[in-house]
Amino acid sequence: MTAPLVLAHLYPRRMNIYGDIGNLLALRRRLEWRNLPVRVVAIDEGDRFEFEEADIVVAGGGEDASQLAIAADLVERGPAIHRAVAAGVAFLTVCGTYQLFGRRFLTADGAEIPGIGVFGAETRGGGTRMIGNVVVSTPWGDLVGFENHSGRTRLDPTQQSLGKVRRGKGNDGESGEEGAITGNCLGTYLHGSVLPKNPALADDLIRRALARRTGAPAALTPLDDTIERAAAAAAAERP
Amino acid sequence: MLRLRCAVALARLTRSISRLFGRGGTALPGLVALRIDPGAIEKLVAGLREGVVVVTGTNGKTTTAKMIREMFTASGRKVLANRTGSNLARGVAAELAGAWRRGRIAADLAVFEIDEAAVRHLGPRLRPRVIVVTNLARDQLDRYGELVTTAGHVAAAVAASGTAVLSADDPMVAKLAADHNGPVAWFGAVPEIRAAMPDDRALHGVTASTPLGRVDALLTGVVAAGDGAAITVVVDGREVSVTLQVPGVYNGYNAAAALLAVARLGLDPVAAGSALAAMAPAFGRGQVVDYRGRRVKVVLVKNPSGLNQAIRLLCDDPVARQVLIAINDSIADGRDVSWLWDASVESLAQTPHSFGAGGVRAADMALRFKYAGVEAWSEADGRIALDRLVDAAAPGDTVYLVPTYTAMLGFLELLLPGRSRDEVWS
Repeated sequence: MTAPLVLAHLYPRRMNIYGDIGNLLALRRRLEWRNLPVRVVAIDEGDRFEFEEADIVVAGGGEDASQLAIAADLVERGPAIHRAVAAGVAFLTVCGTYQLFGRRFLTADGAEIPGIGVFGAETRGGGTRMIGNVVVSTPWGDLVGFENHSGRTRLDPTQQSLGKVRRGKGNDGESGEEGAITGNCLGTYLHGSVLPKNPALADDLIRRALARRTGAPAALTPLDDTIERAAAAAAAERP
Repeated sequence: MLRLRCAVALARLTRSISRLFGRGGTALPGLVALRIDPGAIEKLVAGLREGVVVVTGTNGKTTTAKMIREMFTASGRKVLANRTGSNLARGVAAELAGAWRRGRIAADLAVFEIDEAAVRHLGPRLRPRVIVVTNLARDQLDRYGELVTTAGHVAAAVAASGTAVLSADDPMVAKLAADHNGPVAWFGAVPEIRAAMPDDRALHGVTASTPLGRVDALLTGVVAAGDGAAITVVVDGREVSVTLQVPGVYNGYNAAAALLAVARLGLDPVAAGSALAAMAPAFGRGQVVDYRGRRVKVVLVKNPSGLNQAIRLLCDDPVARQVLIAINDSIADGRDVSWLWDASVESLAQTPHSFGAGGVRAADMALRFKYAGVEAWSEADGRIALDRLVDAAAPGDTVYLVPTYTAMLGFLELLLPGRSRDEVWS
């Protein structure tokens, strides 16, 4: 493979509140360690970007004000993001951007922030914040991360979740579901950052991206993930 | 008055009893005083002839408050202060009750360090003559909530204060001036120094430009000197040069804030500033402790901007050092350790130092080091990690210990066995 894999960081200035930058770093390093060329692109409000040119897009969480500030820009990009998702571009959206990849976010004070509806989901703000370490059973094994959100996300019956909460609250603290997945587009409440501690998920995003490029299933050189596993195990034991 | 006397007497009695049992805490006596007289704080501070100074902000509170205190003490005043860890209402009440002598407060003024989350309600009760806001950065979001919420707490306290001493270089702090009807005094640094002050404002999407015509206390020079820093601050047009025992550009900022605060309270900054040379670092704020023949320099970190300041300090040290970064995740540290990913750990790859990861979340720090391209060992046990840190250094060498708050308390037991918290912090 000659052309570098393109990692796009959506809204790095406003939506990067709980170390979400670590997700970008995890993907980048795991590509570099395998001698796979990589290029990182930052997309802030107003920046021109064709999502289908990206291989993996990551987006993080932000304060309410930041979420409001990017909402209009995101809606404008909605059709382009839908096309990219349909074309198989891999996405990882965390917390605030996960919420806005649903249909809408109704804030605690009654305002409605429109989302782009990639996920069949709606989020309502309010109530006590759901804070703590989370363990989720998923097809990638147990994912470990830290959640901190007051929004409660309800998935449509047809919307697939990332997995079942084993510890913590997840989407809404009631359904037992965590996150959402549509095609190669993933949404989750897990910070941590989530990818460094969950290398199986990071590598799967890379695998999906490579498969889309080459049209064939991709095999990745295994890496030594001893430190990653130790960090995940330590977090899973903590409140 | 009778109620206040009862409150004070019982608080003091509680303190004596808990000391008898070897417990030095300030929480219980303060709670007792406030239970008997909920207005105890307001009444007691009214007896302070020169009033109250409040210091708040994300980083630098303890050192800035200590600087102000030392300058006033050197001027011959009797100064009351709360100690680190007692920056809530009950801690402040306990300190005030403890200073009661024969029907009055035996102090001229008080310098209180107040937590950003507590300052909204506690600040106005103290009727501060001066409030200093050091900086506002993202800090333990699981505990403090969003930064705009914290800024709102601080704004409420600023509005209830006399003079506001604000950072011109921190956009979140500078914005507080808009909500203040009283006088504002600005501290800041020349552009070259400001550029060297690590912060996380880029992460907030805030552009760093504060269009100010005038900065009342301008930091014009910071040069490393021994374990500390030689600084120059121009306060109201007069140059103050002093060698601090605390290191780093960030302590230059703290000194500028402290000098400006004392100047607004009537001290001559040039005379007062000389007292800063004698100020020993507060525990964990660049303090050096001898341990098994090595000099252990302790630099507390609580959030990404604090860790970036420590990283900056390490980058500025040209000698190859042993460094241990120890991360705990108790409530006081913040349960969420994802902030480690927001600090520029990558910069450490360029230094000649050797690194270890410690604390309850040693594995998370080790992971952060790995993705930053920094080789490091990992050891969660405090004693083993500390021994490993010093064993790797030659006798007489300086090593760096960079812990979060509760990790620091654990190391304190190892570094200064048998010394109570009160003793170390007083």
